Amino acid sequence: MSAATDPWPLRAPRLLGATALSIGSQVGGLVVLLARIVARLFPPRLDRAELLRNLHKMGVRSLPIVSVTALFVGAIMVIQAAPLVTRFNAREIVGWGAGFATLREVGPLLIALMFSGRVGANNTAELGTMVVTSQIDALRALAIDPIGYLVLPRVLSMVVMLFFLTIIGDVVAIGGAMVAGKVLLDVDPRSFLNSLFLLLDQWDLMTGLIKSVIFGAMIALTSCHFGLSVTGGAPGVGRAVNASVVAAASGIFILDYFSSFLLG
Amino acid sequence: MSIRFENVRKAFGSKVVLEDVGFEVGSGECFFIIGASGVGKSVLIKHLIGLLRPDGGSIYLDGEEVSRLTEKEFFSVRKKCAMVFQNSTLFDSMTCAENVALPLRKHKRLGAKAALKEALERLDTVHMREFANAYPPELGDGMQKRVAIARALTLDPRYVLFDEPTTSLDPVSARRVDQMIRELCDEVGVTSIVVSHDLRSIFGIADRICMLYKGHVRMLGTPEDFQTTDDPVVQQFINGRAEGPMEV
Amino acid sequence: MNVVSATGLAVIDVTRDIRDILRMGARTLRFVVRGRKDRRMIVEQMHQIGNKSVFFITVTMGFIGMILVFQSALQALRIVPDLSLLGATYGEILIRDLGASIGAMMLATRVGAGIAAEIGSMVVTEQVDALRMCSADPVEYLVVPRFLASMVMTFCLLVWACVVAYLSGMVTAYVVFDVNFLTFANFMLVDAGDVIVGLTKCLAYGAAIPIVSAQRGLATFGGSEGVGWATTSAVVSSSLAVIVLQFFISAVGYLVFPG
Repeated sequence: MSAATDPWPLRAPRLLGATALSIGSQVGGLVVLLARIVARLFPPRLDRAELLRNLHKMGVRSLPIVSVTALFVGAIMVIQAAPLVTRFNAREIVGWGAGFATLREVGPLLIALMFSGRVGANNTAELGTMVVTSQIDALRALAIDPIGYLVLPRVLSMVVMLFFLTIIGDVVAIGGAMVAGKVLLDVDPRSFLNSLFLLLDQWDLMTGLIKSVIFGAMIALTSCHFGLSVTGGAPGVGRAVNASVVAAASGIFILDYFSSFLLG
Repeated sequence: MSIRFENVRKAFGSKVVLEDVGFEVGSGECFFIIGASGVGKSVLIKHLIGLLRPDGGSIYLDGEEVSRLTEKEFFSVRKKCAMVFQNSTLFDSMTCAENVALPLRKHKRLGAKAALKEALERLDTVHMREFANAYPPELGDGMQKRVAIARALTLDPRYVLFDEPTTSLDPVSARRVDQMIRELCDEVGVTSIVVSHDLRSIFGIADRICMLYKGHVRMLGTPEDFQTTDDPVVQQFINGRAEGPMEV
Repeated sequence: MNVVSATGLAVIDVTRDIRDILRMGARTLRFVVRGRKDRRMIVEQMHQIGNKSVFFITVTMGFIGMILVFQSALQALRIVPDLSLLGATYGEILIRDLGASIGAMMLATRVGAGIAAEIGSMVVTEQVDALRMCSADPVEYLVVPRFLASMVMTFCLLVWACVVAYLSGMVTAYVVFDVNFLTFANFMLVDAGDVIVGLTKCLAYGAAIPIVSAQRGLATFGGSEGVGWATTSAVVSSSLAVIVLQFFISAVGYLVFPG
């Protein structure tokens, strides 16, 4: 009996069950991959060349897109606050208002989404192509462990690079917010920065940066997992890239929710 | 010092590919596994280095049962038993020299410079030194194959598995690869297992041949045995006829 | 010198991409007005783009609603100890901007990747060339149905996204900050300007995502690996398009409806 011939009251639970099972198996795959990566960390045997290559590629390639995103995000946060600010005549705290939201929440989140779209998707495609052209088997046949050689440097690079890109993005976003504040609300950049430094504590900044590390690990894990589990030739690579971006985005939101609560 | 397959069985889902396969390969031999496409020749040799695991039966390498080893334990097997893949499978993000240098760096604990230097010498033995800095996709199939062979030989393996080494090569490159395989057996004493359905290679360089058919060994013998057999299936295959008793 | 030429090349690349996307948009609009519209194809695409994204958008926007309320409540508590206006400001910001914009970012990953992958694999298997050989314009046959379907479905999905985010925010406010449902459901601050700006955004994103992704898909080259690249680039470009549009519409919206 196939799903399509069922009467509709039976189809819904079947579909829900199938979805739950497939999500469960993906999450399980992620956990297994995580365990295998952690096991490779003791003792740490890293391929230095592969690590440097990935650091360079992932960092440099996503710098422009992260900067542009951050610039607009900063400006948008000020525009968001503008009606409230004019209503309560609270020009002197615009810097803090925009900075709080950007540094804690919106900056890390959007930068991570862009990073996932660019670096994560590319990583899935690269590993997936290696799987379908049996280059992974070739590594194993040379007695080289694919997790240690391919996955570990990629995961580390993504976590490290997203962290630094978030710092750069934060700076650019504050710049964008400052310009928007000057143009739209006529807020003096100096008073903008004053309110930012006065009212913002380190913990606000730390929250955002801790999140960026969590997001980086999430993107790295999903993109490697989906890349390594590609089946079905070249079209399979396309499907895996799509699935990996969607899974990483969902994962980022869910983790963001929990980390927002935990980090208060 | 040999390779022995005993009652090996492997199925993918409900499709049984290998039902009961067993044979022995002697030291220094150039052993061919032949058969129609999809009969499970590549599947069979991938069992030897643990890229696939059998559903039943056992495989011995130098008297050691290898089919139940873990992935980690297989690493030592793979160092003495190399494999050249059907599509060469060079890493296309690296140059030819880096491809060859990778196993040197990983297993011989050589620094990056020393590894590259030795890689160049290795490439020289397959006459590919001038292409050392080219990326694999820029090269023709025959050249890629030669680099792949150089990469497989870097750890001085005692056994080398060739998966359809001459398929998709032009006739001249194909004969050159044949010649390299033969020289490996004669001069270095390497045991080669070659999966092929290229009739010219089979009768050109094989010491012994094993023909797989429907999940079993159909015939095992020297090239002469094969040419004089009256088994109609084997006859049809080695004469390359479309009509005959062979089922697809 | 190296840096200069690299920057220059990047600028040229970006300008060319923007020009190609605008050109594609113009051609699509022309065919929408004049061309033949295949109704069955549009309905099929509406199902692909719309129905299959409902679950995804509901889950992500549910979490977004909780995060937004949690963060803005924390922020508000630092200046005023009173959260009675939390729901009102949240409603305004959600309707004016965040509901549509964040929802569209999510749709860009899902819908954009789908469109680019589909069209891209038609390019590399030469099906698009085959269309041309039958003197059918690929924009008319492939892009227009996706464009129209996406306009309708993105609009509906983004309105739904706002509803989900609002409800989950309301529950969060009640559970975490003990804000009464009735106090929260306060639309005092929402005026016609907010609604107009919000709906304009929904329409603009619905139009931008399919055009950007289809352009990326049609520009695919280099076999199946090229499809992967096109998909990635479609996700990134359409997310960027959403952010840029969000910026411009918000800025114009603020100047036209400052309240």
